[in-house]
Parts: sequence; C-alpha cells; structure tokens
Amino acid sequence: MSHELNSLLIPLHVSYIQNLGKNKDDLMYHLTAHLRMNAIYWGLTALCIMGHREALDRDEMIDYVMSCWDEETGGFGAHPDHDAHILSTLSAIQILVTQDAIERLDINRVVKFILSLQQPSGVFAGDSFGEIDTRFTYIAVNALSLLGRLKDLDVEKTVNYIVQCRNFDGGFGSRIGAESHAGQVFVCCAALTILDRLDAIDTSMLSWWLAERQLPNGGLNGRPEKLEDVCYSFWVLSSLSMLKKVHYIDSDKLISFILSAQDPEGGGIADRPGDMPDVFHTHFGVAGLSLLGYPGLVDIDPVYCMPAALIEKMGLRKGWQALERRTG
Amino acid sequence: MHGVRRARQSKEALEAKRRKEQSKLRDYLALTDDVLTRKKRNEWSREALHATTQLLQVNPEFYTVWNYRRRILINGVFPESTPEQIKDLLTDDLSLTMEALKIHPKVYWIWTHRGWCLNNVPSRPGISDDGDPRGWEKELWNQELFVVEKLLDADPRNFHAWSYRRLVLESMPVPKLETSELAYTTRKIESNFSNFSAWHQRSKVLSSLWSQGKLDETKSKEEEFDLVHNAMYTDPKDQSVWIYHRWLIGSGDSRDILEREIAIIQSLLEEEPDSKWCMESLVHYKRLLLRNHASSVVTSTLTQDCIKLLDQLRKVDPGRRARYNEIGKVVVIPNCVF
Repeated sequence: MSHELNSLLIPLHVSYIQNLGKNKDDLMYHLTAHLRMNAIYWGLTALCIMGHREALDRDEMIDYVMSCWDEETGGFGAHPDHDAHILSTLSAIQILVTQDAIERLDINRVVKFILSLQQPSGVFAGDSFGEIDTRFTYIAVNALSLLGRLKDLDVEKTVNYIVQCRNFDGGFGSRIGAESHAGQVFVCCAALTILDRLDAIDTSMLSWWLAERQLPNGGLNGRPEKLEDVCYSFWVLSSLSMLKKVHYIDSDKLISFILSAQDPEGGGIADRPGDMPDVFHTHFGVAGLSLLGYPGLVDIDPVYCMPAALIEKMGLRKGWQALERRTG
Repeated sequence: MHGVRRARQSKEALEAKRRKEQSKLRDYLALTDDVLTRKKRNEWSREALHATTQLLQVNPEFYTVWNYRRRILINGVFPESTPEQIKDLLTDDLSLTMEALKIHPKVYWIWTHRGWCLNNVPSRPGISDDGDPRGWEKELWNQELFVVEKLLDADPRNFHAWSYRRLVLESMPVPKLETSELAYTTRKIESNFSNFSAWHQRSKVLSSLWSQGKLDETKSKEEEFDLVHNAMYTDPKDQSVWIYHRWLIGSGDSRDILEREIAIIQSLLEEEPDSKWCMESLVHYKRLLLRNHASSVVTSTLTQDCIKLLDQLRKVDPGRRARYNEIGKVVVIPNCVF
C-alpha cells in the first residue's frame, strides 16, 4: 500500500516508532545501542506532537530509563552498562519530565554530575574525558532548568563562553573559532533564551543567515552551500521562532519538502526524499511541521524541544513565536 | 542516518538478509558482553585491550568502549610500558582511529580519541643536552596536520575535520605560522570558491594577524576585496562569497569603501540583472551609508534606491518576501535604519 506524500501519515509514523523497539534480532538495532536513550526521547516526543503519547508503554519506558542510571557518576548512560554522558542524561530527564515521573530521579546527584562538567572557560564537557562543545552547554542549561536548579549555575561564565563562539555572520559554532552551523545556532540561541540573554544575539544578522538556509526545493541546509536535510527544519525553525522570525522563510515549500521525505510504505521520515527513514529525522521532521503550524499537530516548545503545554505548565515558557496552527 | 537510499526489498530477501546476519549478530553480542563484563570487573589487561580493539573495529561509535580502552591504557598498560612502548601503543591507536575515520568521518568519538592519544604522547626519555624532549610530540602533531589535510581533501566541508584542524593548530608544540594557515585557506578557496568553511577560517586567521600587527590591515583588506571581487564575478550566485564580503565591510565605517563597493556591485548587477545577492548586498550597504554617513550622503536618493531594490527582491526571491517587507518598513523611518 502506497500513500500520496501530500499529508503527514500519522498512523504510519506511530506504528513505525512502535516497531523500532521490536527489531531485537536486527544487527542495526544493537549497533545503535549507544543512541538508545536519545532514540526513546525522539520517539516519545514525536508521538506527543502527533497526539499519540500513549503509543509506547509508560512504565516499561521509565524502568528502562532508570536502568541506565550510573550510580557511580550520577549521570545516565545511553543503555544499561554504558558510561554516563551528558547527551543521554538530558534525554533521560526529558523522558521522565514528559512522563511525569521526575520523582524517580535523585535530582541532587544528577545536578552534581552536570555541574561537574563545566570547564574553567565556561563551556561544558560531555563526560569526564573532557570533549567540549556548545551542545553540551545547552544540555546543561536545559537540564538544570527542567530540574529547577538554574540557580546553581554560574550564568555569567556560561554566557561568556557562548558569546565567544559567535561569528561575524551572526551564527554560532561548536567551540571558539568554529564555523557557524544551524545545529549549533539552535543550541546557543536556546541556552541564551533559557538564561534570558537574547541581548547576546545579533538578531538582524542571524535571522538573515537563518533565512538564507532555505534552498529552492524548500528544504533547509545547515551551512552555506550545503545540501538540504530534514533535521535542519527544526534547528533553523526553532532558532527563527526564538527570534520571532519564522515567517522569513517559505513555509509551504518547507512543509512539502518534509512531507516528501516520508517513507510512504514503512513510515518514518528520512533526511531527504527517497532515503532510509530513522527516528531522529522523524522526530525533527514532525517538530518542524509543528512549528510551521501544520494542522492537527500539538505545539512543540522550540527552546526545550518538548511539548509546549508541559513547559508552560512548569512555568518555563519563553517569548518565542511559531506559526499559527492551520485548520484542516 | 544520512544519505542512505531507501530500497524496497521483498519479504524473502529481507528474511534471507536477516538469517545471514544472525551469526554476525551472535558474534557481536558475545563480544559486547565480554567487553562490558571485563569493564565491570575493572580489568585493565592486554586481553581486555585486544577485545576493545575487536569491538571498536566493528562499531567505532560505541563511546563506552573508547572510554574503557583509555582506562585500560592509563591504569593497566602504560604503567608497565617504557616510553617507547607507550609511543608505539598510541601510534597503533592513531592507525585504528584512522581506519575508522575513513568509513565514519563524522563520528565525534573517533576524533576525540585521536586528540586524547596525541595529548598523551610521552616526552622522549634519556635526552641529556643534545636533543629535544618534545621530539615525539612534535613529530606526531606535525603528522596530524598532514592527516587532517588529507581528510579535508576528501571532504573540504567536513566541520569535524575543520574543528579538529583548529585543535591541532592550537596544540602543536611548535606552532605553525598563521601566515601559512592563511596560505592554506587561499589554496582551499582557489580550488573551490563555495567552500565557506575555508572563508570562515580565513576570517579568523586574518583577524588574528591584523590584531597582532603581523599584517597591515588596510593593505591586506584591499587584497581580500580583490580576491572576493574575482569570486563574485565568477559565480554571483554563490552565497559564501557574499557573506565573506559582508565581513570585510563590517560595520561600514569607511564611506569611501562603502561607495566603491556599491559601485562595483552595481555594475555586476547590470550584467546579472536578476542577481538576488547583488540586490540584497546593495540594500545592506546603502543602509550602512544611511546609518553611518547620513550627513554626507543624499539620504532621499539612497532610501528610494533601497525601496526599489526591495521591490525587485520580492519578485526574484518571493519565499523571503516577509523579510524584505520588514526592511522596507524601517528603511523609510529617518534615523532608524536597522
């Protein structure tokens, strides 16, 4: 059975996500175990945005997340017996918050783990081996905010490093000196938004750079003169939402591009039309469509990349603006 | 997953593939189990090191195993090795990661492990007064710059490789001259004008050379304008060049430069009447004239020019018309051009 690619195939994507956990005799399933915690967060969030939160078993998910907690460091690994890392730690927190199960967490230990990763320069490392990246800074800021513990963060030091990663084009890189990249622009803008420091952004320059990510086929790229990819739909759009400039791009063309990257047979969304789908692109494709006001979807918060109603209920909503939800 | 084409396979073909994979899967799970069991026992033996090699050759994205490997080396293997042996072990790991990078050039963990190896190269022992104790470090870091150049030849936009290149440049015991890094970006740009990664790197190197007074800023900027004019005339659709040009202009403090560049772009626009980038840049630079040099320019003419250009932009680039509309609204307000 094949579908036309002019609408979001919600039931098909829901079953695609449900089936991801059932491929345990598939080698690829095991080769990607290091991404499992992120994958569950991507799957769960995509389901929430499509209005099917209950499609994955809540208790099983929470038990799995807790089985990845590393007692020794206080952080979460990507899978049981995998080392704690800040990447899987944020996903674990996001899953627990989304499933209203934060009481399972030893908040003090997790906060201590996260804060231990801040370097003297202000940037965060991913784990004790010290790889640094502004992605990890965003993760720390997001996680501490969700846990209600931003007061424990040295905000000046944190912001100071991010500002040093700002380039002349208005964008941000992964480290001081690194080229602007839409994914890094998202993490830096979102961290600054959470810390109420949007004044550190050159809005007119950056919104120009972001608007120019759209290519003639409607898709967005992550850097000048690169190919389009569905995942940038979220990173560029979320940044534009924080700057209140989503209308700077052609939303109809981007919606068509994301829809054309769906797999009409097995479900899921790929990086671009005709490619193999995966849960990462499915999540970012659906999240992008939500920010574009695609009908029938639930609002996503572009700063935390979680259901907007949940963030609002926690009192964490910032002043972003997505496109108005379309009807029918 | 990026760039893997979707192929429809019959149920039978999928089943056959699955059966074929079963033995691979069993081996992989057994190896994973073996490594993680040793890890839980805090085993730092050479057998454990060997097991991590095998596992990482199958799955170089398994970050926990890279971590464990480093712990084995630090806690078990290095303490019983001579400095020569440590150097050889690290050289082996550089080869292991090189093989992995050839297949997975965008996996963060592999790059991280290379950096760790180089940071752990021992000082050369037994040097009295005739040698350099940092000889090995120099040798390996120099070699690393060569390696990263090979990787950037294979993919000139790989941002992992560029980021790693900056790390190598910062870490080399004998720093490479920044003027030679400038020459490297010239080579990369000349082989492909649309390589924005190289333009970006160039902007960083030049800023550093100018601020240290190693290059005369005014003279050097003129050379950059020549380079960029050449590029914009070669391919006026390439946004890398226009973004770099905007950096050269910066906040537009020099009226002479602004007016000269506006004239050059204006004549390019006459040759390429639909060039969106010419129009977009002209609007920006004319607005800079209005903002910074209002007392010495004819503001009404410039404002009218901007309004006309924005009208054209809405036609040639309708997808971004909302942005042109917003600029159009502010450009007519005196003293409020941004």
